[in-house]
Amino acid sequence: MLRFLVSVLVLASCKEVQKMAKAQYTVDSARACLVRQEDTIIFALIERAKFPLNSPTYNHTFTSISQIQGSLLHFFIRNTEAIQSKAGRYTNPEEIPFFPENLPPSVAPYYPSSEFLHSAGALININKDIWKLYFHVLLPMFVASGDDGNYAQTAAADLTLLQAISRRIHYGRFVAEAKFRETPQIFESLIRAKDRKALMKVLTLESIEKMVVKRVEKKAMVFGHEVSLEHVKEGTYKVDPSVVSLLYQKWLIPLTKNVELEYLLRRLD
Amino acid sequence: MAKAEENVYTLASLREHLIRQEDTIIYGLIERAKFPSNSNTYDDKYAQIPGFSGSLVEFVVKNAEDVQAKAGRYTNPKEHPFFPENLPPSNVPSYPFSQFLHPGPASININKSIWKMYFQDLLPLLATSGDDGNYAQTAAADLSLLQAISSRIHYGKFVAEVKFRDAPQDYEPLIRAKDREGVMKLLTFTDVEETVRKRVEKKATVFGQEVSLDSDNDGNGKRKFDPTVASRLYKNWMIPLTKEIEVEYLLRRLD
Repeated sequence: MLRFLVSVLVLASCKEVQKMAKAQYTVDSARACLVRQEDTIIFALIERAKFPLNSPTYNHTFTSISQIQGSLLHFFIRNTEAIQSKAGRYTNPEEIPFFPENLPPSVAPYYPSSEFLHSAGALININKDIWKLYFHVLLPMFVASGDDGNYAQTAAADLTLLQAISRRIHYGRFVAEAKFRETPQIFESLIRAKDRKALMKVLTLESIEKMVVKRVEKKAMVFGHEVSLEHVKEGTYKVDPSVVSLLYQKWLIPLTKNVELEYLLRRLD
Repeated sequence: MAKAEENVYTLASLREHLIRQEDTIIYGLIERAKFPSNSNTYDDKYAQIPGFSGSLVEFVVKNAEDVQAKAGRYTNPKEHPFFPENLPPSNVPSYPFSQFLHPGPASININKSIWKMYFQDLLPLLATSGDDGNYAQTAAADLSLLQAISSRIHYGKFVAEVKFRDAPQDYEPLIRAKDREGVMKLLTFTDVEETVRKRVEKKATVFGQEVSLDSDNDGNGKRKFDPTVASRLYKNWMIPLTKEIEVEYLLRRLD
């Protein structure tokens, strides 16, 4: 009877452990999460493409007469991240802010976050590079030129998409940790030798990468086509599916691997 | 979206816009369904935020709307805050959004009812029970979805204005007589409503499926959320509330 009660107690507290932001990541669970994130990213691309470029959103001179410092986008993202930070968003190590300087601490009740990542690598933040990529390369690729005056909604759509992209790329830390834990012997000597080339080779699984690129293109077609009751409107998509596959092939996958690499290089610190 | 100079809304162009909004709403449903119910987000006894009385979602939405207001969001007559009291004014140069609506009823805002419906009726259908601690992200997903739903419903004002302009002689006597039932009957097209509901369910099925490269697996029962939630949302709440706004708008159209 006592053993039964003890096992019930253990089960109950195991549920509590699970509640702590998925303390156990595996390579498989991390990959499953990345697959689900594809949908989030594609929805966010589609929703940003709803608006034209709306360049005053990004233009410092547009806001120069007001109390707003920097562009409308800077204002929007800095202030929105501050609210999210107070609400506890960045206590989850999966979330990385674009403006970490002077971010207010969480005022929400303490929630135990996962202690899965190695502390040195957990701090990796390449959002400045992602920001540059987003505005200089990605945005012009899939957004129509024009202005509809909806600058605040445009900034909101940018933030949602930036967060989704950032989250995907920085998830590389969890992927790297899971890979390390599965086969530490493969990684340790390469890390000690600081052999970037060899590490990158171990991290690269071309067949999986090819599948990812194909799958996101298919998803972009499925989620982005006009669904009507009569017929399928072939060929019209809310976002060009080849832009989505290019985004993954040229930037998301390589940048995620860069994060994996940087994480591993610090893993034995 | 129509540019400022284009005061040309037609029923066809409005319907096209509403059709595009269906996708936004369904993506929003899917993204909220990514999180379990995370009920602490909605519990003001849980939040205990110093200097703020209310739940975490209220904290996030109120503060987010302040930022969005300063950024000019609510100068667009299509956007409606959930917490309009003490909203700061826009800090950006004003954009000449078209003044298509009749001034009095243009300010109709039924977001309090939408808020109630969202948390009491929709969320229990949408989110699986459970807790993953991601309350801030949950609140952000709620805000996006609430805004999409609110935008769709309040679009009824534009629909009503177009319907009025197309047939003022039909609406005016009913409006003067304050005949709600008569107005409601006139603006109701049940066949269109049924088409909308069916299309929404189809979209929810298509967008909500797990897409894999193995095409045998597509739509094979694996899905991100229950597509009937989307069609119920439209049938039970979105379409009726939109029509309610149309009626309220029209009853004040001759003021």
